[in-house]
Amino acid sequence: MPKRFMAIWFCYLKTDWFIRRIPVLQDIPFVLSAPDHGRMVITAVNPLVLSQGIGTGMTVADARAIISSLQVMDDQPGLSARLLKGLAEWCIRYTPTVAFEEPDGLMLDITGCAHLWDGEKQYLAEITRRLNHFGYDLRAAIADTIGTAWAIARFGKDSSIIEPGRQTAALLPLPPAALRLETTTIERLEKLGLCKLSNLISMPRSALRRRFGQCFLRRLDQALGNEEELIIPIHPIEPYQSRLTCLDPIVTATGIEIALQRLLDDLCLRLQKEEKGLRGALLKCYRTDGKIEKIGIGTNRPSHNSRHIFKLFEIKIDSILPAPGIELFVLEALKVESVLPLQEKLWENTGGLDNIGLSELLDRIGEKIGVNNIHRYVPDEHYWPENSYKLASSVNEVVQTAWRVDKPRPLQVLARPAPVEVTAPIPDYPPMIFRFNGKLHKIIKADGPERIEQEWWLQDGQHRDYYCVEDEEGHRYWLFRSGHYEVDKLYQWFIHGFFA
Amino acid sequence: MSYTELQVTTNFSFLRGASHPGELVEQAAALGYSEIAITDRNSFAGIVRAHVAAKKNGIRIITGCRLDLLDGLSLLAYPTNISGYSQVCNLLTTGNRRAEKGECHLYKEDVYHYAKDVKFVVLPPGLNGLFDFEPSFSNALAEYRAIFGNDLYIAASRLYNGDDSKYLYRLAQLSSQLQIPIVATNDVHYHEPARRQLQDIVTCIREKCTIYTAGYCLHPNAERHLKPIKEMLRLFRHYPEAILRTQEIAEACRFSLDELKYEYPEEITTEGRSPQEELDLLAWQGAKQRFGEPVPEKVVTAIHHELDFIGQMNYAPYFLTVHDIVRFARQQKILCQGRGSAANSTVCYCLGITSVDPVKFDLLFERFISSARNEPPDIDVDFEHERREEVIQYIYEKYGRDRAAIVATVTQQHQKGAIRDVGKAMGLSVDTVNGLSGSVWEFTEEWFEGKRIKEQGLDPGDKHLRKLLQLTREFMGFPRQLGQHTGGFVITRGKLSDLCPVMNARMANRTCIEWNKDDIDALGFMKIDVLALGMLTCIRKAFDIAKENCGLDLTLANIPQDDPAVYEMICHADTIGVFQIESRAQQAMLPRLKPTCFYDLVIEVAIVRPGPIQGDMVHPYLRRRNGEEPVEYPSKELEDILGRTLGVPLFQEQAMKIAIVGAGFTPAQADELRRSMATFKAKGLVSKFEEMLINGMVQRGYLPEYARRVFKQLEGFGSYGFPESHAASFALLVYISSWIKCYYPDVFACALLNSMPMGFYQPAQIISDAIKHGVNVRPVDINYSIWDNKLEERSGSHCSIRLGLRQVKGLRQDDINILLTSGKKMYSGINELRDINLPEATLEKLADADAFRSIGLDRREALWEISAKDRPVALFSGQPSADAKGENVSLPVMTPSEHVVHDYAATSLSLKAHPVIFIREKLEQLHILSTEQLSALKDGAFVKVAGLVLVRQRPGTAGGICFMTIEDETGFANLVIFESLFEKFRKEILQSRLIMVEGKLQIEGEVIHVIVKRCYNFSSLLRILTPTNNENLPLLTLAYPDEKSVPPGLNKKTQIKENAPEKIFPEARNFK
Repeated sequence: MPKRFMAIWFCYLKTDWFIRRIPVLQDIPFVLSAPDHGRMVITAVNPLVLSQGIGTGMTVADARAIISSLQVMDDQPGLSARLLKGLAEWCIRYTPTVAFEEPDGLMLDITGCAHLWDGEKQYLAEITRRLNHFGYDLRAAIADTIGTAWAIARFGKDSSIIEPGRQTAALLPLPPAALRLETTTIERLEKLGLCKLSNLISMPRSALRRRFGQCFLRRLDQALGNEEELIIPIHPIEPYQSRLTCLDPIVTATGIEIALQRLLDDLCLRLQKEEKGLRGALLKCYRTDGKIEKIGIGTNRPSHNSRHIFKLFEIKIDSILPAPGIELFVLEALKVESVLPLQEKLWENTGGLDNIGLSELLDRIGEKIGVNNIHRYVPDEHYWPENSYKLASSVNEVVQTAWRVDKPRPLQVLARPAPVEVTAPIPDYPPMIFRFNGKLHKIIKADGPERIEQEWWLQDGQHRDYYCVEDEEGHRYWLFRSGHYEVDKLYQWFIHGFFA
Repeated sequence: MSYTELQVTTNFSFLRGASHPGELVEQAAALGYSEIAITDRNSFAGIVRAHVAAKKNGIRIITGCRLDLLDGLSLLAYPTNISGYSQVCNLLTTGNRRAEKGECHLYKEDVYHYAKDVKFVVLPPGLNGLFDFEPSFSNALAEYRAIFGNDLYIAASRLYNGDDSKYLYRLAQLSSQLQIPIVATNDVHYHEPARRQLQDIVTCIREKCTIYTAGYCLHPNAERHLKPIKEMLRLFRHYPEAILRTQEIAEACRFSLDELKYEYPEEITTEGRSPQEELDLLAWQGAKQRFGEPVPEKVVTAIHHELDFIGQMNYAPYFLTVHDIVRFARQQKILCQGRGSAANSTVCYCLGITSVDPVKFDLLFERFISSARNEPPDIDVDFEHERREEVIQYIYEKYGRDRAAIVATVTQQHQKGAIRDVGKAMGLSVDTVNGLSGSVWEFTEEWFEGKRIKEQGLDPGDKHLRKLLQLTREFMGFPRQLGQHTGGFVITRGKLSDLCPVMNARMANRTCIEWNKDDIDALGFMKIDVLALGMLTCIRKAFDIAKENCGLDLTLANIPQDDPAVYEMICHADTIGVFQIESRAQQAMLPRLKPTCFYDLVIEVAIVRPGPIQGDMVHPYLRRRNGEEPVEYPSKELEDILGRTLGVPLFQEQAMKIAIVGAGFTPAQADELRRSMATFKAKGLVSKFEEMLINGMVQRGYLPEYARRVFKQLEGFGSYGFPESHAASFALLVYISSWIKCYYPDVFACALLNSMPMGFYQPAQIISDAIKHGVNVRPVDINYSIWDNKLEERSGSHCSIRLGLRQVKGLRQDDINILLTSGKKMYSGINELRDINLPEATLEKLADADAFRSIGLDRREALWEISAKDRPVALFSGQPSADAKGENVSLPVMTPSEHVVHDYAATSLSLKAHPVIFIREKLEQLHILSTEQLSALKDGAFVKVAGLVLVRQRPGTAGGICFMTIEDETGFANLVIFESLFEKFRKEILQSRLIMVEGKLQIEGEVIHVIVKRCYNFSSLLRILTPTNNENLPLLTLAYPDEKSVPPGLNKKTQIKENAPEKIFPEARNFK
């Protein structure tokens, strides 16, 4: 069967996508920009901007000189590849063989597909219409060869469907650039005045080879159909999911457990092979009455340990109401991350947070008392005591800085310093006695002061002079005076923590 | 008991200190200190400023620095006397010279070598976890102690770190153990506690982080400020001896920068004469040469007078040093010209430093050197820009690296940089920072008050933003790095590194000192400016060409003076390419001013400057000159000052003299006034002077209106001062270049092209101007052209210019040398060129430039030949290849317009035709006039005119008016666009290569302007010059029913920028 290809060219791929997300941009001149050698260079423009003569490659400053109201957004690296991949996957509904090429094109092998839409014209119209509806501006063309379809989509004038075998005629009036050549070759051809393929096709092949190389002839042959060209289609990712249908509806907890176990074994095997682990999973139970029962779990680190995941689910199985019975189980991994394969160690004694046993324990406790009730604190680089630690975002967050040990800090810190009454000699001696919670403490030893200033970029206020003090009973406390000792100013003493 | 602060870091420890030396000194004086030390890191850069400030505030500076060693503990070093100071200077020089610019690599060994007469204070580290010092520290201390003996101390600071008592206790222990006394310091980084915020910010800038991520890079508290003496005594109450030691060091280190004595180099005299005798001799010798014998009476008197004055001020060595450099340049045939306050003296003329004849010029010597200020005279010497390096290397060679160096310039933090740095450190996004710095045009209070900021969509009431603005304001004016002055040299008798540290410059083979020219002035060092001037290169090349082709032996001095034909030409503003007076504004002024003598040129050079324009002095002068307004003087005393300029102050000296005579300023005050304008308008200094000047003048009976104008003019002079002495030197070059252009336009154009890039115009304009003057210009060709442009045989009244290969874009001189030195006279085929191994890319560039005409190929045919990758070898080399014969390919023939487009693409000019000629017909249909036709019309006529945009200019002095110059095949036209229209047609104005405007004609004598009412971008018309783009662009079709306007082929891959013909024409130059 003769091959047929369809090329799609997204004229404003990236800006159209931005407009899709932020509809007000439709009527605003805006560009995307990325830093290049210290300057901000435009990487994509919308039609409004283009009509004012601003194109890609210009610096933002120059463009702003022309359109002062120009909106500039940050380009995202890899955006066009991501978008094209998504669009390519979407196009699989029209043909199984779809490829994308950066920066802005799709190539569909539509051999034997178009008749399902009543012919190529309707096929092309349908795809164009649907994509336009998404907000993408595009040009598409169908031809016998990849090269011709590509050329017609971008440079074609008349018809966008080239009848089988007619590609030579269609190519003749096009410029050499339509052949997907290197810029230097195109420039040279233009300089030689060879600005149509018709000038070139008639030339002796040897003359062309001598000047423009074999690559040029290959491109020409590919477009004309004299040489075959392949596309590398994308494969959509299969979702991490496993299903289990039951002949008889399941109504017992044991039945559910068995089903879950099988699904888990299945899914975990696949994850293990792909060196992946799940962070969250959802079990959906489809009941015969059409209702769906769901239970979900989460883990602290990616896991493909089916025993462990089973344990997490196990607690929740009771909450499933099988009622008339469950006929289908679906287990879905909601979030999948890659795990490095671990070598089994003979002596697992590293402890610490890398320990899988620990994180699995945390998972299990978390499922019982609620994940939000387990906290981990990590050091934060601040002198101000209240800011010197912070809540970790996850159990395995990597600590950026070590805990400081060069300055004495109490084991127990009060969330909010409590005021105390003191008797202290001025100017900056430690207190002699202080009263806290009604109890009088006589200080026999003290060290300090350590003066810590406000972090002025966060808040205003007085600095603190911290003292470590020990009372008669040998208890040690962390006291501070807020503010300077000068008499005419207000200052106040506080207790901020307890040493062992 | 008293205390002296011995550890003070100023903002010359870049991005560490947060206060200016001056601020620290003032604060110290206010707190009752009688002396403080300045200890910047491995540098003396801030010391002169501190010294000057200290003298003003009546306290003393202990010169010192902090030595950060690569292999040891940091030390503070204080020279006790001048020889100790030299030791430290040499030490720093050693460290600087072995490192990259801006770094100083020092080792312990170096310090040991230069330790005599220096007191050291070692800076100890913190305590370890066992509340003790690391053993390595005491070992290192012991080593220091063994070397430095009783000159070593340990610094002790109480910075409220929590363990201060333990720390001091351990220090005291060590101190008694090793017998090294401890000395109290407070490690001062800023003069008042409030500066801690800025110190945090500069730390962030240094560590390249934001204030939110800086963490422990910052200091935990604000204790590193200059504390009151009483407080320091209290802090060290348990260690009173530490306080006593500060006095001991302060007492021992009596060295003051005032002791530095500058001495002129010795090599400048011959045969054992004293400098004055040598100068006498040279001056009289020169006088005889210049004026012939007998020397005219007037000259004799002048020389006597000047020599007496020089003798009295002891300036002879200075004149001799300059003379020596100039003599070298003359030997090497490097053109030079002196300018500056002393350069226009008779003595300088006799010594050959300047070629401005002082007799004709009649400038009084004392006008330039005021004995009252007792400042060294100031002579700047301009050299050819291409050969100045030779002069610089001569100076290094003659006096040695250790005795000559370039003065530094302290790069200051300007507002945009300040807001950028502070914004970044405060964690603002790049966009916001850009927005903020974009909203800054000028330093104004208004901006800090936030009005401008509101326009950027930011909330000026925001606390965070207010903080940012406050810090920015403090940060502005901070020194950021030491740069290299454009050419200021310091030369000494002894080793320069005995006087101050020397460091490497960014450029290879250059060394600089750490001080800038103000510092040098303050210490009374001599400085000679060795500057580069492009026009001198051009003139020298013109002299060379004239010698070779016309047999003329021209020098700056022997060109006939006061030639009426030259002035005639200047009056008609026929000055393209001429020095200084070629700009659009100058050209507009020339027909109004009608210069007829040398002094008129001096005025012409000085009048079109921001100073006179802002001071509104231009029009009064023109009216008086044309007799439309009586010449009158506000007072008798001002008549002396303003007599030469018809009562209107035009020169910087005049404005300053008015301040002195009219407002009762002392000369020093007047100078300070000028300087304060030049540096920063910040800190309210300006308004203080404004008041002083206006009050002073009003008191002496001048009108307040007039006083205000004088002040405005001073303001203008501040940033772009133009003194009469400079104008006179420039005027000479104006005259010389005009004379060459007038009599030898061929020589002039050729020399100018060979000196490019310089000046205002593109090669295309220079060439079209030469053609207009009857010079025949021939295109580049591989068989006739050399690298430079050259003159060929005479045709008509002038020689023809053969364009050189340097005009072709992208060619390398090395490749062309292959072509020129192959030994072959005439090339007859492309393969011959291949055989001499000319690179392919070069061949292609030559084809693009259409340089193969002499072998019968146009650019397209040549390119077709060149693009074939195989070529005959061995026996057949040089022959056309066999395949080629069978090819029989016919390429599309290029139209003339296409050739022109490609000429522009390759060389930015075309001798074939002007591009506009090809669209003239179209323009005529639209009733668009050529620029030539404009002059035939009447003032006020409504016209349409179109042309290529050459220059866009929006000078700050013109209140938003944009000036444009356009060009068509008949000439130029000047457009004026008012601010409101500029905003409206911004796009057209900035984007057009070919612009069409409608507007009113304004004719004033010979000066023609079009006052623009509307602009149109006609660039697309240029597309029709090439067939490519109009035929083959895929046009918009309606093939797809719901297609939006898709720009065909506008794909990055498929569209080649260079091929859009309207882009080929050179981008117009934009001037602010």
